[in-house]
Amino acid sequence: MEMMTVKIKRFDGRNSYYQKYEVPYEKGKTILWLLTTIREEQDPTLNFTSACRHAICGSCAVQINGNAFLACNTPLDDVLETYKTMNLTFEPLKNFEVIKDLVIVWEPKMEKMTKVKPWIIPGEEGSKEIGFLQSEEDFQQIAAPTDCILCGVCASECNQLAVNQDGYLEPFILNKAYRYIVDTRDGAPEQHLKPVLENDLWKCLHCMQCVSQCPKTIPLTDQIAFLRSATMAMGELDNQGAKHAYAFHDDVKNKGRLNETMLPIKTDGLVQTALTKIPFALRMVKKGKINPLHMPKQISGIQEVRKLYEYAEEVKS
Amino acid sequence: MTLTYAFFPGCTLESAAEELMISTKKVAEALGIELIELNGWTCCGASHIQDIDNFLSTSINARNIALAESLGVSKLLTVCNTCTLMLRTAKLKMDKNERLKEQVNVGLDRAGLQYKGTVEVTHLLWALLEDYGLENLKKKVTVPLKGLKVANFYGCHIVMPPDVMGFENHRNPQSMEMVAEALGAECVEFDQRLACCGFHAVFPAQKEVMTMTGINCLSPKEAGADCIVTPCPLCQMQLDAYQPDAQKRFDQDITMPIIHLPQLIGLALGISPEELAINRHVVDAIPALQRKLQLA
Repeated sequence: MEMMTVKIKRFDGRNSYYQKYEVPYEKGKTILWLLTTIREEQDPTLNFTSACRHAICGSCAVQINGNAFLACNTPLDDVLETYKTMNLTFEPLKNFEVIKDLVIVWEPKMEKMTKVKPWIIPGEEGSKEIGFLQSEEDFQQIAAPTDCILCGVCASECNQLAVNQDGYLEPFILNKAYRYIVDTRDGAPEQHLKPVLENDLWKCLHCMQCVSQCPKTIPLTDQIAFLRSATMAMGELDNQGAKHAYAFHDDVKNKGRLNETMLPIKTDGLVQTALTKIPFALRMVKKGKINPLHMPKQISGIQEVRKLYEYAEEVKS
Repeated sequence: MTLTYAFFPGCTLESAAEELMISTKKVAEALGIELIELNGWTCCGASHIQDIDNFLSTSINARNIALAESLGVSKLLTVCNTCTLMLRTAKLKMDKNERLKEQVNVGLDRAGLQYKGTVEVTHLLWALLEDYGLENLKKKVTVPLKGLKVANFYGCHIVMPPDVMGFENHRNPQSMEMVAEALGAECVEFDQRLACCGFHAVFPAQKEVMTMTGINCLSPKEAGADCIVTPCPLCQMQLDAYQPDAQKRFDQDITMPIIHLPQLIGLALGISPEELAINRHVVDAIPALQRKLQLA
């Protein structure tokens, strides 16, 4: 009989250690089956959470061999095939406090979520008498974000959260803010959007982990792009993120390509650049990586590129 | 055998990562790969322009791809992860959504171009495996990189999101290991192999990204790597040019040379470090390479 070696990170409230289990391999099972089998047949003290077994309750997400998975809807065979191994290492989700073994604490995350006012702030178009009606098209706007089951996979994989848990919002919180901002029944989208901006919206690294691992395939990174656009539409342009994005946008319009030498100045301003980036600039110049005298020429076809900018403006309006 | 590709260099290859332009051309020549640089390519938007205008971001990349289509080639080749992602994202959106494609083409028509969807967007790493073939690559190796311990740092945008990139399993890719081993190098296992370099937020998240850079250098160092090799010039720039800034946040010595994938290939093809412009890096990679290799 083929055996799997399963190492699980245990935590008893004080000490943490890895415990090894040998489990007979069975074809066509799920990750949750594996955890349940260990608990039922080998170790009743093993703690993990699960309930619905149908990717609805969101309670069974864990880390396996370095990635986050929802245990109930992940085929064991897929995981073994991915890592080309019969050795699996289970750990609790990253970027969460751990209570015991694979069980994590959700309360601080829910508390943090209240920052974005995760509820509808009713607009004036509806009332108790006539209700708050939506067209099907309006409803479709919130269809994807309401698929979120709060499993925590996105937060576990988020590279910004890994180094900035206090300042940054979990992708599922950004998703929640997005869900109310685009809801046509909501009358005060800026009340959800402002806290998003104030909690390091521009620090998203664009690493694509959240969108790549989400078990409900919610387009989280498109949402982050939307949230950034929405803050700029609200007039929030005087920040590093917006200035940096506009540096690219304007360089492509003017010349077709990025002017790397001017990028720090356009993003941070001359004073801040002089204060913080001089050692960097000097070492770049020394290695010939920046030539301050070199200005990119206009590309051939720049007039055509500008026509695309004009057309994009027409499409927007 | 001559493979011909339309070539999209991307902005960094014209200045900060000019050594990648130099080494890519040298390696392509040595392998008999013809690269035809697109005339009039624009910046791909570098994961920023869609934050201002998503449709514009798609349109400028539709133009880049349309330029390649007019060359009559089947593939557009890049050497930058983010350029690959931005071009492939635009392509996927248009190929999946006929209405969007038609709308983008209204704009392109004013620029005298049409996006048809006939050209595939690929990366040099994939082209080597898919088109050139590892066996053919091995035949070209004249200086096997025996004894050189490399840490393959993939960078996010060559594997994620998988529905756009899709060349290999994003949770456990092997393409870099396959190429490095074909060249005779030894691949070290290290925790940060699939980590994010943080480059795209290095301005608004400077403090966090410098911490990440330090961790990304320390992890392969502790695993015994001689150098990091990466298929992305943005990862290279973040890990190399910002390394002295990251060092200030760490007590331990984080020094780790960072080279581009074509530079690693070029060394195995017997091209000298100078010809591959390895001397252009902020953290000098040549001493570490010299210790292990008989360099040309």
